[in-house]
Amino acid sequence: MSPAQHYVEHYRTLALPGRHLPWLRRLREEAQSRFSEAGFPSPREEEWKYTNVSALEKKLFVPSVGTPTAVADTSALARLRLEDAWSLVFVDGIYSAEHSVTDGLPEGVIATSLANALERYPDRIEGLFNQAVPQDAHGFIAFTIAYFRDGAFVHLPPGKILDKPLQVIHFSTRPDGLSVARNLVALEQNAEATVVETYAGTGDLSYLTASVTEISVGENAGLEHYKLQSETVKGYHFGGIYAREARSARFRQHHLAFGGLLARTEIHAHLGLGAECELDGLFLATGRRHLDTQTLIHHRAPCGTSRETYRGIAADRARGVFSGRIVVHPDAQKTDAEMSNRNLLLSEDAEIDSKPQLEIHADDVKCAHGVTVGQLDPEAVFYLESRGVDEPTARNMLTFAFANEMVEKIRPSSLNRLVQDELLSSLPQSDIRKDWL
Amino acid sequence: MSATAKTLDKLIKKEYAPGFVTDLEADTLPPGLNEDVIRAISAKKNEPEFMLEWRLEAFRHWLSMEEPKWAFVHYGPIDYQAISYYSAPKTREPPKSLDEVDPKLLETYNKLGIPLYEQERLAGVAIDAVFDSVSVATTFKEKLAAAGVIFCSMSEAIQNHPDLVKQYLGSVVPPGDNFFAALNSAVFSDGSFVYIPKGVRCPMELSTYFRINAAKTGQFERTLIIAEESSYVSYLEGCTAPMRDENQLHAAVVELVALDNAEIKYSTVQNWYPGDEEGRGGIYNFVTKRGDCRGRKSKISWTQVETGSAITWKYPSCILRGDESVGEFYSVAVTNHCQQADTGTKMIHLGKNTKSTIISKGISAGRAQNSYRGLVKILKSAENARNYTQCDSLLIGDRCGAHTFPYIEVKQPTAQVEHEATTSKISEDQLFFCMQRGLSAEDAVSMIVNGFCKQVFKELPMEFAVEAQALLGISLEGSVG
Repeated sequence: MSPAQHYVEHYRTLALPGRHLPWLRRLREEAQSRFSEAGFPSPREEEWKYTNVSALEKKLFVPSVGTPTAVADTSALARLRLEDAWSLVFVDGIYSAEHSVTDGLPEGVIATSLANALERYPDRIEGLFNQAVPQDAHGFIAFTIAYFRDGAFVHLPPGKILDKPLQVIHFSTRPDGLSVARNLVALEQNAEATVVETYAGTGDLSYLTASVTEISVGENAGLEHYKLQSETVKGYHFGGIYAREARSARFRQHHLAFGGLLARTEIHAHLGLGAECELDGLFLATGRRHLDTQTLIHHRAPCGTSRETYRGIAADRARGVFSGRIVVHPDAQKTDAEMSNRNLLLSEDAEIDSKPQLEIHADDVKCAHGVTVGQLDPEAVFYLESRGVDEPTARNMLTFAFANEMVEKIRPSSLNRLVQDELLSSLPQSDIRKDWL
Repeated sequence: MSATAKTLDKLIKKEYAPGFVTDLEADTLPPGLNEDVIRAISAKKNEPEFMLEWRLEAFRHWLSMEEPKWAFVHYGPIDYQAISYYSAPKTREPPKSLDEVDPKLLETYNKLGIPLYEQERLAGVAIDAVFDSVSVATTFKEKLAAAGVIFCSMSEAIQNHPDLVKQYLGSVVPPGDNFFAALNSAVFSDGSFVYIPKGVRCPMELSTYFRINAAKTGQFERTLIIAEESSYVSYLEGCTAPMRDENQLHAAVVELVALDNAEIKYSTVQNWYPGDEEGRGGIYNFVTKRGDCRGRKSKISWTQVETGSAITWKYPSCILRGDESVGEFYSVAVTNHCQQADTGTKMIHLGKNTKSTIISKGISAGRAQNSYRGLVKILKSAENARNYTQCDSLLIGDRCGAHTFPYIEVKQPTAQVEHEATTSKISEDQLFFCMQRGLSAEDAVSMIVNGFCKQVFKELPMEFAVEAQALLGISLEGSVG
C-alpha cells in the first residue's frame, strides 16, 4: 500500500474537525486528492534537493484515536514549560485542556484549539485559513490541510497587547504516532504578542509531526514568534510558518532547532508597505540528524525591510541545510534586505549545504547576502589550550560561543534559559557549564 | 527627459553593429536530425570509424534525455528537426594560405574588427577562424609548430592526431553529460584543438573567432585544450552572429585538461546577436564548458564577458582534482532589452589544498533577466580547500531583474567557504559626484560601470580588454534609471 493510500484509509474513519463547514470540506477533499497523487515531496523537486524524505514512505505513522492520552512522563512536559506564560498544549496532535493555561487572558483575546474555534468562530477562520500558505503548496502542506486534527487558534483584536508570552506546546507520546496540526495566529491592527511554539516528545520515540502555522500580522501590529524544535532523536518533523504582514507590521521570528532525526522548517513572510521582518535561526545538528531550514521573503510593496541571521552547526554524521530566498517584486522599490548565514562544520562526516538566493525585480533596492562555512579557528582553540583548558572543552566553549550569540537574541528570559540548557546538553562532549556561565 | 535618461535611451537603442549577412554559397545539409544526418556529417568530414560510433552513441543517449527546465529563462519549445546541422562555405580547394581564402569572407572578419592580415602583422595572436562550421584559415601555424604546439581545427585533429582525440575527447564533458552536451557530441561540426606539450609555454595567445552566418543553422562547435605537464596557454574566444528574426541555437562544448603544474587561461567575449528590442530573434547560447585540473598544482582560469545572445545558459566549471590545484572564474554578464542570462560556474573540490575564486558581475537593463547560478562543492577528500565567491548585480531601470542562486555544499570541516552577494543600482551620489567634477552623464556612468567590472576586466588579455570595454559601451553605458 502506498503511504498516500495508507493515510487515506486511516483517516476515513476519523472524525476530523470542521466537517460541518462546506468550504473546509472542499479544501480537505482537494488537498487529499493532491496528496494521493503527489505524495510527500521528492528530492527531484528543486526546493527538496537536499532533503530526502523517502524514509517517511517506508514508515507508516498512525494518528491517535479519540480523546487525548494522558501524559505519563509529565516531567518532560514540565521542563519545556515557560514560567509566567499562557499555554496551549497539544498531546499527539489533540488539544489537552488539562495541561493548558489560559486564565487571565485580556478580554477579547482568543487562545484556544482550532477544533473548538471551528465550532465557535467558523467565519473568522474561513477568512484566515489557507490564506498565507504558498499557492503551489507541496505534499506536506496538502497533507496538513487534508488531515489536521487540531492546532492553536490565537486571535488578538485591535490594540490588544499580551504582556506575557503565549506558549503552544506540541508533545508526542506514542510510538509511530502521527500529529497533524494547523495553527492560526492573527493580530489585528496595533496588537502585539509573543508566541512560542515548542515541539518535543517522550524518550526516544519515533513519530511524525507535521504542523503548519499561518500568521497574519495586521497594520502596525507586532508579533514576536519563536519556534523551539526539540523533537526526539528518532522523531520526524515538518513545520511550516507562513506569515503575511500588512502595512507597517513587524514580524520577528526566531527558529531554534536541536532535535529530530529528520526535521525541516519553512519560514515564509510576505511584506506589505513599510513592513519589517526579522528572521533569526540556529540549528545544532548532532548524531545522524538532518536539519533543514528554508526561508522565503516576498517584498511585495515598497519600503520593506528584512534582516535574516542564521547560524548552523553540524557535528558527528549530521547534515545541516539552509536555503534562504529573498524575492523583491517589481513594485517593491526602496526595499532593504540582508541575509547572513554562517555555519560551523565540526566533523569529517558532517555536511553543510547552503543555498542563499536573491530574486530581484526592482532597481532601487539594497539587497545583500553572505554565507560562510568553516571550522573552529585553530588559533582560538590553541589560545584556550595554552590557558590550561583541555581541547574538547576548548572546542565546546568556542562552539557554544558561536551559537550563544543567537540565543542571546531571545527576549523572554525563561525561554532564553530553556534554549541555553538545550544547547548545552546537545553539545558534543564534556560539561562546560562552569562558574563563568 | 533628463540628460542622463536621453543618453541612456540613445545607447540602449544603438543597433547591433556586426548584424550583417555575408552572401556566400554554402554547402548545407537540409534541416533535420537523425542517424543519417550524423552519418552524413561524419562522412563529409571524412572521420575515422571511432568518431562515428562516438557520435551515434551520444545521439542515442540524447534521444533518451529531456531538455533541462531548471534555469531561470523562458523560451518557446525548440524544434530540433527544423535546424540544419551542417553548413560550410563552398570552396573549390581547401585554402593553403590566407591569399586563397574567399575575399568576401575576409571582409566579414574585417567588419568584425578582426582583420587576419592585421592580426598577423601585429604579432601575438594566432587565429583559427571558424566560419559557420569549418575552419577557414589558420595563421601562425609554423611558429607554433616549432614550439611543438598543436593548434588546429577539430576536424584536422581528428584526421592528424586521432590518438590524442581518442584519449581526451569527452573525458571532461562525457557525451551524455547533459542534454545540450549530448546533442553537441552527436552533431558537432568543428571547433579548435590545442595541445601544449610538456614544459612549453605557448609563445603567443591563441584565439578563435566563431561566427554563425547561414540562416537556420545551429552552431555546434567543440573545443578541446590539453596542457601537458608544466605548460601554459592563454586561449581567447570571441563570438558574433548576424541579425535574424528567428532564433538560432548554439550549443557548444569546451573541454580543458590541465596536467601537473600546467595552467590554462580561457577568455571569452561573447557577443552573439541578442535579438531586437522586442525580444525577436537572437541566439540561444546553451554551452557546456568544463575544465579538469587533473594534475597537482594545475590551474584553470575562466574569464568571460557575456554581452550577447537572447538566452545564455552557461556554467564554465572547474574540477579541482589535483592537490593544490586552482580554479578561477571571472565573469561580466550584461543583459539588455529582453535578453535572459542564467550563467555562473561550478567549482568541485576533490584535491587537498585546492583553491577557487569566483567573481561575478551581472548587469541588467531594460526588461532583461540576469541570473548567477553557481555551485561550490567541497568533497570529503578536499582538506583545507578554500573558496571565495563574490557576486554583484547592478540594475538599470525598474523592469529588469537580477537574481543570485548559489549552491554551497561542504563535506570537509577544514574547508573554508565564503560567499557574498549584493544587488543595487548606480547611486545618485556617485553620479552626482562625477558630474559635478565636469564629467558628462554618459562618461560618469561609463566610468562607474567600468569600475564595477574592473576586477574582471583586469583578468582579460590586453587584446580583449579593449574589445570588452567597447562592447560594454555599446550594451550598457548610461546605467541610470
